[in-house]
Amino acid sequence: MKWRKFVGLILAMVWLGLSPLGAGQDLFIKNGTLLTITQGIIHGGDILIIDGKIKEIGQNLTPPKGIRVIDATGKYVMPGIIDSHTHVALSGTNEASVAISSKVRMKDVINPEDPAIFTALTGGVTMVHTMHGSANPIGGENVVLKMKWGKSSEEMYVPYAYRTLKFALGENPKRANMMGFSAQPRYPQTRMGVIAIIRREFAKARSYMREWERYNQLKKNKKLVSFILPPRRNLRLEPLVLMLQGKMVARCHTYQADETLEFIKLSKEFGFKIGAFEHAWEAYKIVKELAAEKIGISVFADNWAYKMEAYQGIAYMAGFCAKHGVLVSINSDSGERIRRLFNDAAKTMRYGDLSEDEALKLITINPAIQLGVQKRVGSLEVGKDADIAIFNKHPLSAYTRCEMTIIEGEVYFDRAKYLEEQQKKAAAKKPHKKGGQK
Amino acid sequence: MRVIRNYLVFLLVIGFFVSSLPAEKVKPTYAVVGCRIHPVTGPVIENGTIIIRNGKIETLGPAAKVNIPEDAEVVEAQGLEAYPGLIDAYSQYFLETKSPSGSTAQRRPPFSAPAEERSWDKTNFLVLDNLKFKKTTLSSLHKAGITTILVTPPQQIFAGVSTLLNLNGEKFPPMVLNDKVFLHLYFTTSRGGYPSSLMGTVALFRQSFLDAQHYALQKKTFLRFPAKVSRPEYDAFLERLLPYVVEKKPVVFDCANMQDIKRAINLIEEFKLNGFIAGANEAWRVIDWVKRAKNPLLVTVDFKPPLGSRYANLGEELKKKAEKEIYPRNPAELQKNGLTFALVSGKISNPKEFIKKVTQAVEAGLPADKALQALTIVPARLLQVDSYLGSLEPGKIANVILTKGQLLTKGCQVTRVFVDGLSFEVQAPAAKGAQAPSVNLSGKWKVTVVSQMVTMEMTMDLTQEGSSLTGRLTSEMGNWEISEGTLSGDKLTLVIAANVMGQDMELTFEGQATKDKITGSISFMGGSAEMTATRIPDKS
Amino acid sequence: MKEIIKMMSRPMNWLEKMRKKKKASLRHFIGLGLVFCWLAGLVWWPTLAKAAETEPVIAIKGARLVTVTGSDIPQGTILIKGKYIVDIGPSVTIPPEAKVIEAQGLVAYPGMIDGLTYLGLQEISMVRATVDMRETGNINPQVRADEALRPDSVHIPITRANGTTCALVAPTGGLISGMSALIKLDGWTPEELVIKVPVAMHIQFPMMRGRYRRSSRSVSGSKRIKELKKLFNEARYYEKRRLAAQKNLLLPYPDFDEKLEALLPVVHGQLPVMISVYAEKDIKEVIKFVQEEKLKAILYGVHDGWKVADEIARAGLPVILDSLYNQPSRWEDGYDALYRNPAALVKAGVKIAFSSQSASLAKDLPWHAAKAVAFGLDQKEALKAVTINPAEIFGLGDQMGSLDKGKLANIVLTDGDLLEIRRHVKHLFIEGKEIDLSNYYTDLLHKFEKRLKEK
Repeated sequence: MKWRKFVGLILAMVWLGLSPLGAGQDLFIKNGTLLTITQGIIHGGDILIIDGKIKEIGQNLTPPKGIRVIDATGKYVMPGIIDSHTHVALSGTNEASVAISSKVRMKDVINPEDPAIFTALTGGVTMVHTMHGSANPIGGENVVLKMKWGKSSEEMYVPYAYRTLKFALGENPKRANMMGFSAQPRYPQTRMGVIAIIRREFAKARSYMREWERYNQLKKNKKLVSFILPPRRNLRLEPLVLMLQGKMVARCHTYQADETLEFIKLSKEFGFKIGAFEHAWEAYKIVKELAAEKIGISVFADNWAYKMEAYQGIAYMAGFCAKHGVLVSINSDSGERIRRLFNDAAKTMRYGDLSEDEALKLITINPAIQLGVQKRVGSLEVGKDADIAIFNKHPLSAYTRCEMTIIEGEVYFDRAKYLEEQQKKAAAKKPHKKGGQK
Repeated sequence: MRVIRNYLVFLLVIGFFVSSLPAEKVKPTYAVVGCRIHPVTGPVIENGTIIIRNGKIETLGPAAKVNIPEDAEVVEAQGLEAYPGLIDAYSQYFLETKSPSGSTAQRRPPFSAPAEERSWDKTNFLVLDNLKFKKTTLSSLHKAGITTILVTPPQQIFAGVSTLLNLNGEKFPPMVLNDKVFLHLYFTTSRGGYPSSLMGTVALFRQSFLDAQHYALQKKTFLRFPAKVSRPEYDAFLERLLPYVVEKKPVVFDCANMQDIKRAINLIEEFKLNGFIAGANEAWRVIDWVKRAKNPLLVTVDFKPPLGSRYANLGEELKKKAEKEIYPRNPAELQKNGLTFALVSGKISNPKEFIKKVTQAVEAGLPADKALQALTIVPARLLQVDSYLGSLEPGKIANVILTKGQLLTKGCQVTRVFVDGLSFEVQAPAAKGAQAPSVNLSGKWKVTVVSQMVTMEMTMDLTQEGSSLTGRLTSEMGNWEISEGTLSGDKLTLVIAANVMGQDMELTFEGQATKDKITGSISFMGGSAEMTATRIPDKS
Repeated sequence: MKEIIKMMSRPMNWLEKMRKKKKASLRHFIGLGLVFCWLAGLVWWPTLAKAAETEPVIAIKGARLVTVTGSDIPQGTILIKGKYIVDIGPSVTIPPEAKVIEAQGLVAYPGMIDGLTYLGLQEISMVRATVDMRETGNINPQVRADEALRPDSVHIPITRANGTTCALVAPTGGLISGMSALIKLDGWTPEELVIKVPVAMHIQFPMMRGRYRRSSRSVSGSKRIKELKKLFNEARYYEKRRLAAQKNLLLPYPDFDEKLEALLPVVHGQLPVMISVYAEKDIKEVIKFVQEEKLKAILYGVHDGWKVADEIARAGLPVILDSLYNQPSRWEDGYDALYRNPAALVKAGVKIAFSSQSASLAKDLPWHAAKAVAFGLDQKEALKAVTINPAEIFGLGDQMGSLDKGKLANIVLTDGDLLEIRRHVKHLFIEGKEIDLSNYYTDLLHKFEKRLKEK
């Protein structure tokens, strides 16, 4: 296992050497309404960005000479939106052919050219947790990416986020809605089976881990070393071992309150950590337990009633849970919804009566905390990555529009520039079209 | 006298094929005189002579320095260019596309199928056992100047083992240079069972290589300590992987896009494989990776931007531009970065198209000499046959092609090829019995194809020059190029390079033509259909 | 409605039969009801007498009134009597018997009308047992949305709590999906819900699928038109044969054909077709088609509308936009193509309305309109497109869609902009009746709020 790490390290070093990771840009954002999330609202505020990091925030800053200045007068500046659960930028979502697919890694199938990355940028999204699907009780290892449209997958990859493994309970791993998909049922077909198979895998992982521990002990004995074989590497169990060792956390897709509680029990049985529950449409029924266990949820604002287990998913859920001490983030789970997460956050004010500040946290600092990246992103603070979204109106207004999206000081989406280019293209086409009509 | 000798040689050659005499049979001697020789590994020789004896290049040099042996048939090649035969190091000519087991109606394994089923394991697929000879294919390869091809197995995760052929006749055994060249790997999915996704495939590769390493270790340890270690259970799949994972025999990763290239490099590095990268028309986009990893490259001249690429996704205009201008620069970019590579046809199923695309790469900035090397000595080295193939040098196998006009320029025509010292005339198609065309078929045609399953309507544009025809077919299924066409008397033959649902295939039409009507049948992939065409009158 | 009954009342007309049956049972029901009333009346005579004399009167006082058709009234009163608005203005005399709703600080809007929903037809989209808007087969002109309405759907109260008071309920799928009904979002029975039926015959053209994946290749639009033309001709011929047979007893009387029967009002130009059409080429062909066939038509979806806005305007066809929770299918069109589309259509002079195209998310109707405002649509036009425009498109412009004297009292009182997300509906009136705003959401919420209070 050690040499694998070593290879990983070398690869990481090579990546670092090859790509301008960390070599962010300089930028000065002038005179905007800064929604810092963690430090209130600054009217007429400026942000100085050096090397992709926020160097200074405040009123009446002086821009260094030669720096690119973005005038945000009359505009709203907020930290880049973080989508805690989506499937964009991937070539494939599910390894649905087996019940336990923990050996797969989304890292292996990043598609940096998925147009959904651009779509995300048009909605102010700068970072995503892009995940394995929910076809399996245990899915694959997820990955955190920054939406650096036009850059390589290595440049998008966020190495400092938690390592997370996808789990899924309920209808999807049961394949309950896959009529005609496959005539022969796959185990498990019940919620009982789903929990049982996850327990089985963790038990297997525990003995696999012990096997390695034993081998590493025996290896020290010089007499034995020549004929003691290391155990066969099992890629399926290795992520579970990492979870047992606390080096990886579970992100568990659940709907019903009961299965959610069962998974918490399972986590205690084996001593692994739950990063967050996904969708968790019935979390409002068990806020007590979630708050006590300090387990967050990553949920839809109001996308509900599409299947039986989502039929009690009330739009008040996110707001209600947030008010009662649960760490909530609003996710898209879609390459379309990803461009209107700010609208979805606003819905928690309509349903749930959250304040503007609370609502904005659901798509910024809260998902950052859930992904373990809150020291780097999620708010406008000195020292953090300059991942920023600029809106023409308050981002929680239904009338708002994202104008600019910046990652590490580099502008990745600029609506004004985009429109200019579109017009240019249209102008270039026009004479041709007219001729055709006549 | 000459005529008689020619006739005898002809009989000899025919006789060779018919009776397939043992290879020890002495082959004819040729003296190719008066041509410009491009040895590839040395400087160009003006007015040169090449002596071919018994399948080998005996000698070559300026006319003044080479004596023409008495027994040699003199091949007058004044004004012609001589090159080593071209090597296509990644192709699927002659490959039977049918599943090797023969049962096409294989039941789709259910999703509950255990992972152990290994439907993805075709490591025991030998290309050599799955070839079917086709004369038209051979002649179209010769016509393009291609004398050596690596035939790769059909797409599958662990796809099988490729075979290298020297195109010296009509029977496969004498053609084989190496029956097991590479193990071929694809980033594809398994039908029905595991893995059903790309990520599953990557995981499968890793687990398989790990298992092979472990299996090897188990075997080794068992042999050393048979008393203390239990005997590893035999595993046919892992046994077949051992040469590649442990002995480092070469494996080829088919890389359809830039992410595949990175995936391949990661796997090659993680498992220290002797890995080749094939396809790779997006290598220019990950040039740093390719430069660092230094894996041998079999670069396709298929310039279609791959599915999922931004060049394919962001609008029709960009897609067209990419295919026409951007992707053709891939070989030039690689060359500029000091990389050596073979140019291969990959998914291009038409030899003429392949050479045309290489020419396009030259026009896009790849120096012509580098392009020539990429079709000769470089693939020879990568295939480890450079000691006897890949250039014109004394002692090497006599794969020689004669062309009118320089290779890789427009209008270049291959007039004769020698493979293993055997001469194949390729000048005018269907030289024997050819008649002057009875009509001129240039113009627009309305085409109806009727088969048992479908009736299809198409329009066809034909341009006839002498007895040869070019043109295209337009239908709902796309635009298909007519890659070859001849009219002999009223007999019309068309070879159509079609693309049906993303699959390249060759359709052959044979029939009769009058001024306004064409009738005959079209054959494809073992099937055939009736085709009739009527002339669409020109409005003007 | 009467017209249609008349039109369809021909010998052996099945609809007629059905209707008679229904009437019979209705009579039965009314009879029973009368007996019950009489009994009840013995006990409750005094109260009943009073109610019968006067309809309830409600005065909404002090709100800012956004009338939609006229100018806003910064502070005014709406007087409701029975189902209707009887007076509205800055100074309205409030009769003493009126129930007064103090609405200072609130804004009054006409209730919103959703241009196309599946309310009452679909409960849980993936649970087939609860999905009733998609009949099998390709040609289903004979099916009617009102005949499968579920008044107790949880989605109806959730939707109205956001300010929607009326909605078109339409079938979908196939080439001809069936007939839609306009409903109000209050009532115990399908009949109580339905305001108008049929509103339109729904026809589907394929959508360009995929996000930025495929090219603009038009999707078999002309094939569909051919098929429709053939059907319409059959319908005309069917009628002709029948009329001829009625006059001349020697001619054979054509067999009853439910599909052609249902198409007759369409080919007569009496019942509008609502054609879901998306691609530029298809839109052009559809315009030509409806003109050639002399159909009354409403276009739906119209993703490429901005490319052919002038042609749509010239043809005088109204457009109902589909959900804006969609993405353009062509990268070249720009990421905001669907967001810009409404503004471009209005600019060209096309009458537009918005739709949620949903049951579970029908509550989002105002936010689709607001999204279009964010991308260039005039705010007043956006408001019209969820109120007066759909009312007019459905032929009910004189009854709803604005705050006007004589119109049905469908009124929303909000604490802010109707199209904003961050606002709450405080009061809702549907046909003069104040509606309880609680719903499935709030019921479940309160249930589990109680759990928290348990120690």
